[in-house]
Amino acid sequence: MLIVFLLAGCLLPPEPKTDAGRDVFNLYIIVLVLAAIVFVAVEGFILYAVVRYRRKPGDETLPEQLHGNTTVEIIWTLIPTVIVFILFGFSMVTLAEVEARSEEPGATIQVDGFQWQWRFTYEEGVSETGTLDEPPTLYVPVGEPVRLILSSEDVNHAFFVPEFLIKRDLIRYADDSKDNEIEFTVTEAGTYAGQCAEFCGTSHAEMTFTVEALPRADYDAAIAGIASGETPPPTTAECEVTVEIKADNTQFDIDEFEVPAETAFCIEFENLEAVPHNVSIYDGGTNLFEGAFVNEPGTITYEVPALPAGDYTFICDAHPIDMVGDVTVTE
Amino acid sequence: MATTTLEPQASAYRRSWVIDWLTTVDHKKIGILYIVNSFLFFFAAGILALVIRSELAVPGLQFVDQSTYNQAFTMHGTIMLFLFIIPALSGFGNYIVPLQLGAPDMAFPRINALSFWLLPLGGGLIFSGYLFGGAAAEGWTGYAPLTQQGGVGTDLWIIGLTLVGTASILGAVNFIATIFKMRAPGMTLFRMPIFVWTVLVTAVLILLATPVLAAGLIALFIDRNYGGSFFDPSVGGNPVLWQHIFWFFGHPEVYIVILPAMGVVSEILPVFSRKPLFGYRAFVFATIAIGLLSFSVWAHHMFTTGAVFLPFFSFMTALIAIPTGIKMFNWLATLWRGKLLLNTPMLFALGFLSMFLIGGISGVMLASPPIDFHMQDTYFVVAHLHYVFFGGSVFGVFAATYYWFPKMFGRKLNDRLGKVHFWMHFIGFNLAFFPMHQLGLSGMPRRVSDYSADTGWTILNFASTIGAFLIALSVIPFLINVIATFINGEPAGDDPWEGNTLEWATTSPPPPYNFDTLPPIHSERPLFFLTHGHGHSAERPSDLEETDEDDVERRDGIV
Repeated sequence: MLIVFLLAGCLLPPEPKTDAGRDVFNLYIIVLVLAAIVFVAVEGFILYAVVRYRRKPGDETLPEQLHGNTTVEIIWTLIPTVIVFILFGFSMVTLAEVEARSEEPGATIQVDGFQWQWRFTYEEGVSETGTLDEPPTLYVPVGEPVRLILSSEDVNHAFFVPEFLIKRDLIRYADDSKDNEIEFTVTEAGTYAGQCAEFCGTSHAEMTFTVEALPRADYDAAIAGIASGETPPPTTAECEVTVEIKADNTQFDIDEFEVPAETAFCIEFENLEAVPHNVSIYDGGTNLFEGAFVNEPGTITYEVPALPAGDYTFICDAHPIDMVGDVTVTE
Repeated sequence: MATTTLEPQASAYRRSWVIDWLTTVDHKKIGILYIVNSFLFFFAAGILALVIRSELAVPGLQFVDQSTYNQAFTMHGTIMLFLFIIPALSGFGNYIVPLQLGAPDMAFPRINALSFWLLPLGGGLIFSGYLFGGAAAEGWTGYAPLTQQGGVGTDLWIIGLTLVGTASILGAVNFIATIFKMRAPGMTLFRMPIFVWTVLVTAVLILLATPVLAAGLIALFIDRNYGGSFFDPSVGGNPVLWQHIFWFFGHPEVYIVILPAMGVVSEILPVFSRKPLFGYRAFVFATIAIGLLSFSVWAHHMFTTGAVFLPFFSFMTALIAIPTGIKMFNWLATLWRGKLLLNTPMLFALGFLSMFLIGGISGVMLASPPIDFHMQDTYFVVAHLHYVFFGGSVFGVFAATYYWFPKMFGRKLNDRLGKVHFWMHFIGFNLAFFPMHQLGLSGMPRRVSDYSADTGWTILNFASTIGAFLIALSVIPFLINVIATFINGEPAGDDPWEGNTLEWATTSPPPPYNFDTLPPIHSERPLFFLTHGHGHSAERPSDLEETDEDDVERRDGIV
């Protein structure tokens, strides 16, 4: 019955998408099994008693007057005691895993809550502030420990991403040094919904955000995208083929590259100078792909749609004479 | 030596029944006032629950705006806890405790009247926010510094709660004095009915915990109105301090709400199983243990604040499962090989066992900090607290109502209508609150007025709303039953249930002075003893004599 329960996905948290979330999920399963055993045993006994010991009409006799039994009472004091100690032991082990902190997190992001939205500030000094109409996106790299520093600008809020199985309060202290920190490693790229979980006034229900977990390169590009004021590119599902291009001194570092035909590919473009550059692809005078500009030093990943076999040109639209190269799309 | 003959005061002059009820200091009338007042607040807070559930039935804001919604859940929680469950159980305590002790009244009848009359006053003030630009809307926990932003409604909430808290404290003093000083000869502490024991421990909890809340409320009032800086970080205060103060009261408060209901159930199960409560002493010690432990677990409400020492509070919280588990086993063993009469009070008592169990289990789950990190402030917690407060205490309140109604009014409530009430209530309750476990696990936060359609929470929310309306409908057979019983109910006689305890040894309803004569008290079941002795095959009256003398001595030693 228990297995049926679990298979049906009943009374389970979401499939965890972080390392620590996986630990919490496993702990929860242990606790759920213990809970189910207690539930079935006690409710089963109540039902049994109601059926078995129901008074027959006209039965005026007294049942045996049992006042107690020391042995039995000691045994049933031990049962919850054992369960409690098991639960506490497992909880502390998992707690240590959830609270573990790495020496060098892959990203440290400042999360500020205010009535009624979020601001995410990245190490690069780049930040995004949400509005009720446009809640913000929190970009995190996949597979690396991410540390969040949680602080509030007004009342209490709580950072909660159900699929990470984690939540922590944002509390405004007179002294900032008490700010909460959490750390997790996202195991799967994807988009996850998040929301304030601590009641914070009128529009509490609308204090939502999205977490976008991206491979490192895409993460860097997204941060660069925020920095350049551009809308970050949609997430790359998987780049089977990635071409790396760098720009410096108004020159590309390569003057040709080759990609397979009829296959979408990615260009990981790194701008090394504070001059706006991009990468666009042309077939003669026809624009086939226009990459977003990177105005400051930074990286962006372009997703280029599949091209038929043939020869094309790649160009920086700001410097079409100095920054040109050849694209060969082969069968 | 002159002899004075006393004339009963009551017959000395005539007065209208209105004046009589307004000025009464009789614990039985005050008890009834408590219960009626509590049910009125129950209906009001129930309507607020329907507002909440209607709004959440489907995604989108259909009926109320966010601000009205926030006021609704704040008032719902505050009223249900402070003006329904606690006073309803206090009302039964008021009516029943002096009777079960063989006493003529409470120790301080006038203070008793005062502590009742503060309730409608405090409750009225809390509600009156609606007349002055909106009621308090910060949740029943009133977390700082959000309370700093509230309007007049928040001040009224603070003042009203302070009055209600004062009423509780006065009541607690009265109960403690009554239980220690007003017991009939032979009624040693360990012969007190379990209900009296639970009221005693509850009163001690109120006496120790509620003044802390009152102090916190006053500090909050100073913060809001006179430039204090206890809780407001913008002027150097600490908002987490409020959470410590609130939950230092708030967790014992959970036991203040549940212990007397446990007492009710522990009266009803033995009577309708025709057996003594299994392990009476263990049960008493478990009750005391819960009371003691309840002061060391408050911060389990604060695991996600990052400001508390998790292992300690997690461990102490888990420990409470042990005395609670002992109680559960005691109840189950009381049923074992009993002769169960499944009438309405017994059904509500069994409903308490089966539903409180679920609240207890989910409570132990939440005691684990990593799990709590996911569940805290989600609908899982809402489900948990309703399985404790509603599945536990409210089932206890209805069990007490059906069980003691015949004593209070001399007529038995109709059992068939009672069963209709029970089943609607039971099914509605589970339909309303069980789906919330899954909603919480899926990540639906509490106290949100809306959710997005793509979360997949619609079906469960809709089911929950249907359940809430079913609970509301279940009130109809209950009210019909009460009215019909007043008009044409089956006369109850002194002792309709073959009860165990002294309240059944007097008339229904009892006279103002309660007892003409008291039976001898040799055990926690004096009435059972009167008919059956110890209940073993052979009566041994010679034993009784001996015990009697021993007991009188022991009683002198104890008090």
